[in-house]
Amino acid sequence: MSKTIEMTTSAGTLRIELDDVKAPASVANFLAYAAKGHYDNTVFHRVIKGFMVQGGGFEPGMKQKPTDAAIANEANNGLKNKHYTLAMARTSSPHSATAQFFINTTDNGFLDFKSESPQGWGYAVFGRVVAGTEVVDAIENVRTGRKGGHDDVPLDDVLIQRVVVL
Amino acid sequence: MEPTAPPTLHEVDAPGEWQAIEFISDLHLSEQQPRTLAAWTDYLARSSADAIYILGDLFEVWIGDDARGPGRFEQRAAQILTAAAQRRTIGFMAGNRDFLLGAEMLESCGVARLPDPTLLSAWGRRVLLTHGDALCLGDKPYQAFRRQVRSAAWRDDFLRQPLAAREQLARQMRDASEAGKRQRPAAEWSDVDAPAALAWLRAAGSQELVHGHTHRPGSELLAPGFTRHVLSDWDCDAPPVRAQVLRLTRSGFTRQDLVP
Repeated sequence: MSKTIEMTTSAGTLRIELDDVKAPASVANFLAYAAKGHYDNTVFHRVIKGFMVQGGGFEPGMKQKPTDAAIANEANNGLKNKHYTLAMARTSSPHSATAQFFINTTDNGFLDFKSESPQGWGYAVFGRVVAGTEVVDAIENVRTGRKGGHDDVPLDDVLIQRVVVL
Repeated sequence: MEPTAPPTLHEVDAPGEWQAIEFISDLHLSEQQPRTLAAWTDYLARSSADAIYILGDLFEVWIGDDARGPGRFEQRAAQILTAAAQRRTIGFMAGNRDFLLGAEMLESCGVARLPDPTLLSAWGRRVLLTHGDALCLGDKPYQAFRRQVRSAAWRDDFLRQPLAAREQLARQMRDASEAGKRQRPAAEWSDVDAPAALAWLRAAGSQELVHGHTHRPGSELLAPGFTRHVLSDWDCDAPPVRAQVLRLTRSGFTRQDLVP
């Protein structure tokens, strides 16, 4: 069983299919943030062409939104960081993911789970873009720069307006 | 916040006026292989290439740049490299045996350091160069070992030990590796993981991979449109005697056997 969400952004609309069989904790976590409107009015704050686009953590002006408890890393679920898959962002600590996510803009095999070690854990894939890949491409190609102490920030905000479950 | 971006690929551009670039690897030079050393010295003097890129395991083992003491094998090898680098561009990429060969030594020899992997742009071609061990993903014990010994911490610990102690350790590591190899013929050694190699090529915008390490020379398709050229190892001290060079010119790749 999968769930599809629709993400409306200032660059267009995406439809993302979430795999709640292979990544139940990540999907439940994402839906909980979506349900309470956490992602509304956040930006894609980290965009690296040829790598990935990341968002869900900051409001315009790079104001970080508060998050809930971190979730377990589900990267060992067999899903790969292929182009247009959705994965959980985190710190260097394997089980530190909270609200931020990223969409791979190429096949990033090096992000896949290798082993249960700090360097090997990888990033948990929990969905894939099923419509609106051209929107992902557009986001990937925006001009970026340094903003609020962060690099690779879109100079013009790419805003997530709404995330709804279909 | 992660994920961290992939490391940027090191790129080398061959000047347009170059006519030929040659690739060698896996010579495993040591004091115990005098004929191979002689063949290598001879080759470096006679080659007509504008550049020679050495893609790893030039030395059987390298225990530190301070091994270049007077009268030592490492000192002689460094002198041979220095002379060669005065004739033409010499590039060195470390392999799994000589990864402790330092930047300081390469600089003093006038040899360019090639990170693994390196993308070579020559005459409109993009050729990805790698030693090959990083792509042998099937050999999990080796990959774990590699992660350990390529860390700065391991390197610092190792180099801190007296030269004699490092020589002893290197001998032990080599004996263990040789014993393992004797039990399994070269044909059964771990090979490069094709999907990983293709991923590297796609990420680099390249369709040609050149590597060594497996000691199984040959050129073959990894997938439609994607080729790999595997370098031969050298051994002129024990049969079957072999020494081969892969040559790239504007017209493409050819192989040259130095031993008739």
